[in-house]
Formats: sequence, structure tokens, C-alpha cells
Amino acid sequence: MDDTLFEFLHSEVVNYVVEGNNILNKDNKDEDLSNLEYIGFSVGYKIIERLTREMARFKDELDMMKFVCTDFWSAIYKKQIDNLRTNHQGVYVLQDNGFKFLTKMSNGKQYLELAPRYVAFTCGIIRGSLANLGVNCLVTAEVQNMPACKFHIQVQRT
Amino acid sequence: MSRASTRFDTKKVNSELVTLTYGSLVAQMIKDIENPDDVNKQLERLGYNMGIRLVEDFLAKTSSGRCLDLKDTADKIQSAFRMYLGVQPNVANWSPAGDEFSFILDSNPLTDLVELPEDLKSLRYCNIICGAIRGALEMVQLDIQSWIVQDQLKGDSNTEIRVKFIRKLEDAIPVGEE
Amino acid sequence: MAVCAAIIGKDNSPKYFTCLNPDEELGFQYKVLSSLDVIEEKLNSGNKSVSDTRELYLGMLYSLEKHKIYGYVSNTKIKFIIVIDSTNTSLRDNEIRSMFRKLHSIYADNVCNPFYIPDEPITSKSFDKSVKHIISGI
Repeated sequence: MDDTLFEFLHSEVVNYVVEGNNILNKDNKDEDLSNLEYIGFSVGYKIIERLTREMARFKDELDMMKFVCTDFWSAIYKKQIDNLRTNHQGVYVLQDNGFKFLTKMSNGKQYLELAPRYVAFTCGIIRGSLANLGVNCLVTAEVQNMPACKFHIQVQRT
Repeated sequence: MSRASTRFDTKKVNSELVTLTYGSLVAQMIKDIENPDDVNKQLERLGYNMGIRLVEDFLAKTSSGRCLDLKDTADKIQSAFRMYLGVQPNVANWSPAGDEFSFILDSNPLTDLVELPEDLKSLRYCNIICGAIRGALEMVQLDIQSWIVQDQLKGDSNTEIRVKFIRKLEDAIPVGEE
Repeated sequence: MAVCAAIIGKDNSPKYFTCLNPDEELGFQYKVLSSLDVIEEKLNSGNKSVSDTRELYLGMLYSLEKHKIYGYVSNTKIKFIIVIDSTNTSLRDNEIRSMFRKLHSIYADNVCNPFYIPDEPITSKSFDKSVKHIISGI
């Protein structure tokens, strides 16, 4: 099966959430993308259950993060994360130099403003998959130069 | 750019990703909209938008020529099913006048692992497919209606999607021509 | 063939429970719950002493006069527990392992149903049917 369908479906999911927002509050400058993030969360939570079914148990949190950056990312986005950094205190930064949902957008200020719409679903996928692996975290994305994107993961210790 | 290497079967993951994303979207819509009839409409409209884009992609990838008649159109949609959903439906149940037919799916990746709750029996989960067919054909100047006749999610043995030709769209270039 | 199967969530709350003889349900529930400590121990003590604690299948947790209790924990911290009759000596370790894999597999399928809310108890009838099919070993 071709991955065009996933790409088109993703953009319809984005449109659906954004249109819903426009009806609710026209003037709000900061877009509420939480539903988009939640749809991603739900996908991440579910798909990780299937993907890790046959795998040996993870050694630790770093082992999980490495898995997310390699096998997991490749399975979904057809490439690995280019760089993983951590402060060893629960902060991880995943850098993708050519993030799939940004590669077809032009680089320019007006497009940069729209970038959050195209990364929210994926923030949710990361948060959902880690949540199901037992790691609760906050995930945000930072886009400075398209199509590069940095995903910041902050593990919540309780 | 780092190379994609993964222990997973990426084709299978891709198909699951579509299934799960669609499922999560439907679940979200039910939360947002509540009335299943309105969700059905919304799903059809979403499919319509995708159909418009998919037909471009399909024509570019297959470099197929103009559709000769409705039978030929049905065959092309059949191969689009295979290309995008990985399943090949049967084209069947032609009306005597030759203006209506059905796609019959024995299995449907979109509904894999879906169990419809009792209180959502009026939800037409696969309406996105009807919308996609309508959107795609409108781009080639065919006005059609499409609806679900049988639904595996509701206990039928297969899923049947009906397509009815309404008219050729006016003031347009003939079907399939640039 | 197993006499009882249970699925316990991340927070140790039961998600699903079934046993062949409904009269023994309470007794089995107690046995399942008391096996959770053994699972915790196995997962935590593991690192050095036991050679391969990275396998999801944990083997036998403990045995009683009449029953043997086996465990399996997924990467997503879901605990699967199966109780076998002690007199049943024909069942091999590999068969038990494969029973767990099948259980895990249908659990993962159930999680993927868009209408299933994560962490809720599993009420699906088709799921129940599949579990009974797996544990009866047909």
C-alpha cells in the first residue's frame, strides 16, 4: 500500500480540526490544536501496542527513545531521526532534518506560521506511544528552518 | 539524510497507520458532533476532498487515458482500490440500464479491528470511500451518487458500495482529457 | 488447556477475567491478584541474576497444590496471567508461551478498535470468545 493515502488523510485531519476551530472562535490568534494532538496520541498509543508485541523488553528509558528514533520513526516516516540528544534528566530532543509533513511546504514566514498544524499530530503520536510504554511526558515541536523539526520530550516524573 | 531501516514491514505499518488514524478521527468526530447522521455527512465530505487529490495522483502514477465508458471507469476505480487500500473489490450488480453498479469488498482495511458499539448502528463508518469516489469522478466530469448497501461492520458478509451515474458535467472537457 | 486467564492493567487494576468454572471465580481472582507481587519482583530483581529477563514471558510465577500460575508482561506494562491445573502435565512451556502470545495479540487488536478507550475494562463479546478459544487450547 502506498503512503500517499496516509499523507492525504493526515491533511484532512488537520483541515477538520482547523475548520472546527474557525467556527468556534474566529478571533483567537493562538490556534487550539489539542484535538489534533489527541488524535495523534490515540494513534501512537494503539500502534505501539502492535509494534512492540514481538519485541524483547526495553532495558530503560533511553532504550525506548532510541527505538522511537530508529525503527519506529522509519516505519512511520520512512526515515530515521537524524539526531537524538538528552540531558540524562528526562529531556530528549529528537531532530528530523526533513520532516515528512513539512517537506512539501515552501520555506517562508507565512508558511512557518502554519507549521504547528503539521507537527501537532506527530507530537501526539510520540506522546501516545511513550505513554503506553509507561513514560508520561510533554511533547512540543520547534520549527525554525523548514523542513527541519525538533521534537522536545520532557518526561514527567511523579 | 539517514537511511530508512527498520525491523518492521513498512507496508503493513503504513496500512495500520491509515486504519488507526481514520479510526481516531471518526472517534473524535463522534465526540465533537454527536449526531451520527452529521458525522456521516462530514465523513463523506472529507472523502470527497481526498478523492479530488487522489485522482490527480492516480492519473499521474498510472498515466491512464480517458475513461471510455462507465465500465472502464469502474475498472479504473477498482485498480485505485488496490493501489491505495491494498484490496481489490469485485465490480458487480450492474443495473439493466448500465448506469449503476457496485464494488464488493470481502475485506476492508479501514474497518480492520473496528467493532461498532450498539448505540452507533446508524454510523456509516466507511462513508469516506463513497465520498472519495464522488470527488475523484467529479474531477473527470462525472456526476455520480455513491452509498453503502451492505456493511460488514453491521454483520453483512461483505461490504457493498453502490455507484449511480447521474450525468456528465456540462461545459467541461471530455472525460480524462487534459 | 488453562482453567483461568486474566489481564491486568498498568495500574494493577483488572481489565479482563475469565475462568472455566464460574463457581471458582473468587478463588481464582485472589490467586491472580496475589501473583502480581511475584511479577513485580521478577521484573525488578531481574537485571543481574536472571539471565534473560527481557523476554516478555516470565514463566511460572508460583505453584500451589492444585494450580500453577504463569505470567507474561508486555512492553506496555500489561500483565497477562494464566492458571493451569497442576494435574495437567501434558502442557509444555512452549505451549503456554504461545498461549500468552495469542492472548497478547488479540489484546493488541482490541486496543486498536477506535471505540475502545485505553485502560477501560474489556467488555467486547468477540474478545471474550477469542480468549475462551485460546485457553481451551483448540
